[in-house]
Amino acid sequence: MFKSLAGRALIPVGLAVTGFVVVCFIMLYTNIKNIIIRDSVGHATNLADTVLKSTHYAMLKSDRETLEAIIHNIGEQKGVDHVRIFNKAGVINVSSKQQEIGETVDKKTEGCIACHMREVPATSLGKMEQARTFRNRAGIEVMAITAPIYNEPLCSNAACHVHPSTQKILGTLDIGLSQEMKLATLSTIRREMIAFTIMILIITVGGVTAMLRRSVFLPMRKLSDLAEQAEGEEGITSPPARFPNELDRIASSYYKLSQKLRQIK
Amino acid sequence: MIQSDDISSASSVETQSDYTSKVRNEIEQEIKRLKFLSNRGLWALSLFLIVCMLAWRDFSLLPLPDTVTAALGAPPQPRFISIMLVIYTFSAITLSLSRIMGGIEHKSSFCHVAYLTCFFLFYHFAKALDENFWAVLGAGITILGVESYRIWSFCSENITLKHEQLEHLVRTGQLPPVE
Repeated sequence: MFKSLAGRALIPVGLAVTGFVVVCFIMLYTNIKNIIIRDSVGHATNLADTVLKSTHYAMLKSDRETLEAIIHNIGEQKGVDHVRIFNKAGVINVSSKQQEIGETVDKKTEGCIACHMREVPATSLGKMEQARTFRNRAGIEVMAITAPIYNEPLCSNAACHVHPSTQKILGTLDIGLSQEMKLATLSTIRREMIAFTIMILIITVGGVTAMLRRSVFLPMRKLSDLAEQAEGEEGITSPPARFPNELDRIASSYYKLSQKLRQIK
Repeated sequence: MIQSDDISSASSVETQSDYTSKVRNEIEQEIKRLKFLSNRGLWALSLFLIVCMLAWRDFSLLPLPDTVTAALGAPPQPRFISIMLVIYTFSAITLSLSRIMGGIEHKSSFCHVAYLTCFFLFYHFAKALDENFWAVLGAGITILGVESYRIWSFCSENITLKHEQLEHLVRTGQLPPVE
């Protein structure tokens, strides 16, 4: 296979085309995946901001009932895994899952460590740093966003529950979104790209093979048969059929040489 | 006079025999060298696979990316590294195919291993190795696969040629005329 003309012509081309297309496919997929992840983090951060804005008035008025109703309703939405608000100490005050209320979150877990890695916790993070991904108890991949609830003049001056104005962060909103849809989309993209890659490879390698076979390998085999005929006792008896391009000249030379040999004999 | 002619003829035969054995030795040495060289591509591929295994383990022997970036500065963006990897893969394959076409002897396989290791390191320090590992692996196997084939086919062609020369030398005492 490696020593035949077909092998020598097709192996390097097939290997190079296949490898390059596969590398490009992997890079394109990685790029698309990064863009989708960045977009979904952006959407989740916007959603967290929307939740904060929606609950702002209820928190300002210390209206726990309204706050719980809002959080519960958001938690009921399809694709929302959890919504919870915890205070500065990490105690969950409000949650879409009733059983969680009163529990303390571990500051060393992935979602918290980004701010709490130093002695003085960070008060702001970039969008991508706010996101973390994990599997919930049901085994579903979840992307969670932690958004700090900042102290505002309205909060520190409110008559109902005064926070000192020096306290920068009052608590944190943690919202988790199921990644099932995103993973399904990525899986569809991956499947389609694999199918397109295979089709491109079949067309490219198959096309080159077909063209080489038709234009080079088959005429070469016929030429080889003609050479064998010329070596035989009778030589080439009838003029050869038309060969493509340069091979035609070689075939007619064989024929003429064979004719001359017959005359000499 | 007759004696002198005999001596000169004997010395000429001796010189011819020396020449034949010298050329024969040279050809045999060349065949040995080509046989050794023909595996060079596979050695490079094996070395690359070892580097891949280290990359798969996140280069646990190296200092952490944060330590290195603190000393050397921020690494390039992963997107920029990926663009460079595509350009490098394309250029390396094109160069390799051109060398196959021109029948040029070039022993460059190991420098490709070095370039590919640099890509692994850049991704590692940019904290994007997990996402881009398979792309570098695919690029490496393709480039080194084509290079191995190029070196192997060049060597096997030349070994056949050298064997033909050797056969001609043994039969006629001379090298075949250069085409």
